[in-house]
Amino acid sequence: MSPAPADELDHKPLDGGWGWMVVVAAHISIGFAYSTPKVLSIFYKEIQDNLGASSSEIAWISSIMLAAMYAGGPVSGMLVTRFGSRPIVMAGGLMCGVSMVTATFGNSMVYLYLCIGIIGGCGLSLNLNTSLTIIGKYFLVKRPLANGLVMAGSPVFTVFLAPLNQYLLNRYGWRGSFLIFGGLMLNCCVAGALMRPVIVRCKTSNCAPQKNVEDKPNESNTKLKESCMKSAMSFFDWTFFKDRGFVIYLVGSILFIFGAYAPILFLSAYAIDQGVDEFSAANLLTIMALVDMFVRPATGLIASSKWVRPRIQYFFSLAMVFTGTVHLLCPMIIIKSYSYTFLVTYTVFFGIGFGMVFALIFECLMDLMGKERFPSAFGLVTMIECIPLLLGPPVAALLVDIFGDYKYLFFMCGTVILTGGLFLFVMNIYNYHMLEKEKPGKDGAQNQMNVEGQEHVSALEVEMKDTPEAEMERSEPEAKYANAVQREPQPESAETPH
Amino acid sequence: MSASWKQLSLQILLLLVSCRHINTKTPGPTAPPLIPIDQLPTDVRSVALKGESHTEKVELLNPVNLTLECTWTGNQDKLANITGLWRKDGEEVKNSNQTVPMENDQYNLKRVFSIVNEEDLGSYTCEFGSKAKIDFVLAAPQIGDVRDKPIVSYLGDFVVITCKMEETKPEPSTWYWYKANGTDKEQIIAAEEPLRYEIKNEERNTKLVVSSLVEADAGLYFCGAVYAISTSMSHVELKVISFYEPLKPFVAIVIAVIVLVAIILLYEKSQSKKNITAAENGTTDQTNTLTQGETNGHGESSSMRQRKV
Repeated sequence: MSPAPADELDHKPLDGGWGWMVVVAAHISIGFAYSTPKVLSIFYKEIQDNLGASSSEIAWISSIMLAAMYAGGPVSGMLVTRFGSRPIVMAGGLMCGVSMVTATFGNSMVYLYLCIGIIGGCGLSLNLNTSLTIIGKYFLVKRPLANGLVMAGSPVFTVFLAPLNQYLLNRYGWRGSFLIFGGLMLNCCVAGALMRPVIVRCKTSNCAPQKNVEDKPNESNTKLKESCMKSAMSFFDWTFFKDRGFVIYLVGSILFIFGAYAPILFLSAYAIDQGVDEFSAANLLTIMALVDMFVRPATGLIASSKWVRPRIQYFFSLAMVFTGTVHLLCPMIIIKSYSYTFLVTYTVFFGIGFGMVFALIFECLMDLMGKERFPSAFGLVTMIECIPLLLGPPVAALLVDIFGDYKYLFFMCGTVILTGGLFLFVMNIYNYHMLEKEKPGKDGAQNQMNVEGQEHVSALEVEMKDTPEAEMERSEPEAKYANAVQREPQPESAETPH
Repeated sequence: MSASWKQLSLQILLLLVSCRHINTKTPGPTAPPLIPIDQLPTDVRSVALKGESHTEKVELLNPVNLTLECTWTGNQDKLANITGLWRKDGEEVKNSNQTVPMENDQYNLKRVFSIVNEEDLGSYTCEFGSKAKIDFVLAAPQIGDVRDKPIVSYLGDFVVITCKMEETKPEPSTWYWYKANGTDKEQIIAAEEPLRYEIKNEERNTKLVVSSLVEADAGLYFCGAVYAISTSMSHVELKVISFYEPLKPFVAIVIAVIVLVAIILLYEKSQSKKNITAAENGTTDQTNTLTQGETNGHGESSSMRQRKV
């Protein structure tokens, strides 16, 4: 990356160098965050026998953990904006480690709910938000690729932790396994240590020579102070709901989350129902995780490309449409005699669709909100997503119970996801169309529109050159990538084609 | 002469009695039945063979007079007569060898067996010459859900060992627990040591709770599902380990984490120190470029800057 000009206001993302170490760190962090609720289920049978709990009681552990992880979003968003990524991820890792270690001595379900569910879930929520935020600070041009690599942490860790947990269980029983797993989660602290804070320099005439964005801004530049303070204080920033793009994204992702997890949870049961033996049915999930592992970075790579990056919202909606279609086709096409082969094919396509959506889901939010507003926006999104996350699987289970047939589950999930994808696609066309219409009127006063949370700091400076991120997100899709590309070879000019 | 008559009549009587026993009793030592053989319930199992061999599983709960019937359509030879034979566990049943004629295009073998106790269970085979045979495997309901991996627990902790009889199989009348002692099994009677053992029996499953574990508690435990005819056994292995065993890898991991974090933070500090000294010695211009858009780790960015992408 080339150096910024002397009067460069905002931080130019590194797009490489130490950024790749941060990608590794975020990969580990996200990996633990998403895979822990899944792989803990390996211990459940043993705990059930020992503590005399029923299946639904023990399943609550994972549900509480996931719910706490998503509901803690706004708090972690605020903490990240205030303190930066490093201390928060280290604190989160410590919390997770402590939660598992204390769970080792548990003798009742409520104790486990508290330790693993609440404390562990909160620790993970600190990890989740911060890891994605710091990617936004280190990457711009290659951000979709970085996001894809980071999100790949979830299937990678699932694939490795599942057999590891099985081994630990056989060797040490569930208590010893919790202890060792807690130790493993402390590796999030290592990940946190790698997340070096980003230092941004603001205008020499107005500010101190070096300023850390994450410090509480009390320098002379009032506009920066206001905007930074506002984003730090925006615990529940309801003004997000005025942002059309945000609302569209929110609706789409709610629909996706509602239908996303139920097929995974019931895949084995469906396979056994179709006559597949238990071992092969369990293998299906491993196949899906393996496919997912490679699809996520690949999607990130494609999304980083020149042609797709400006149209990334459409790419995201198409990925959702693809996933929904795969779900709908599964029960319609399945042939009983070749059920296992067919199920493997379905799992592969499901893995592709799932991986594509998840690689893009947070990249698209970053794309819409910009890196300053991302932590609070992400917090808000995850908190709202708690509801479909918790409702989706039980509703699907209810369908299975009522109709006695798994195909209605797939129909429901496929329809919901397909609707979400189509909604996103159509509404994004509408949104960009409206932005096009609004743009000519706002050219002159563009900077007034770019309020809190954008990277630019001073109104004066911004009038001279267009703000990179704002221009990228609000202008025409083609301009976005051209803008980003142009920043690389011509840092001084920082012009944008209009 | 009367003495010899008496002797003869006695012999004939003995012969009749023993003949009667030959028909109903199976070879091998058996305990005398508690219910007279005539009053046992009866059951029939018949199998029609289409091929050379077949195995039929028969699940029995109570003592029964079981009629086993074998039918064979024969092979291409279509002999008029064929030798029929019954075996139990591979050994020929006495006086079961007979000639079987072909009737209605098939061969038919039928015999009644008294199944009263555990020794009577096993594998009964009817053979047609050496050409075809049908195996009847007589057994009490077996416990299907056998846990092959050992249960691991800790000294001073408690452990719950469960045994379950599937829904599809009939309920046992009760459950017993045994601990392996060398090659023997010793029954665990919870009443004797209520502080250490507790047995909770529900119809289909049973739980053995062993508290305050000590090393001697490790080993093989057997649960027996008791039916009128016999007891089905299943086993689980228990391992007892001390808490130091998982603690060792845990401490190793924690130390590794601390070391890694220290290395990363020290490296970063040394990098920033290097760049601060470089900045102090460098020109203003260099200072400018150094302090812009950079991370704490100046190393990479400055080198990249020099490369001027």
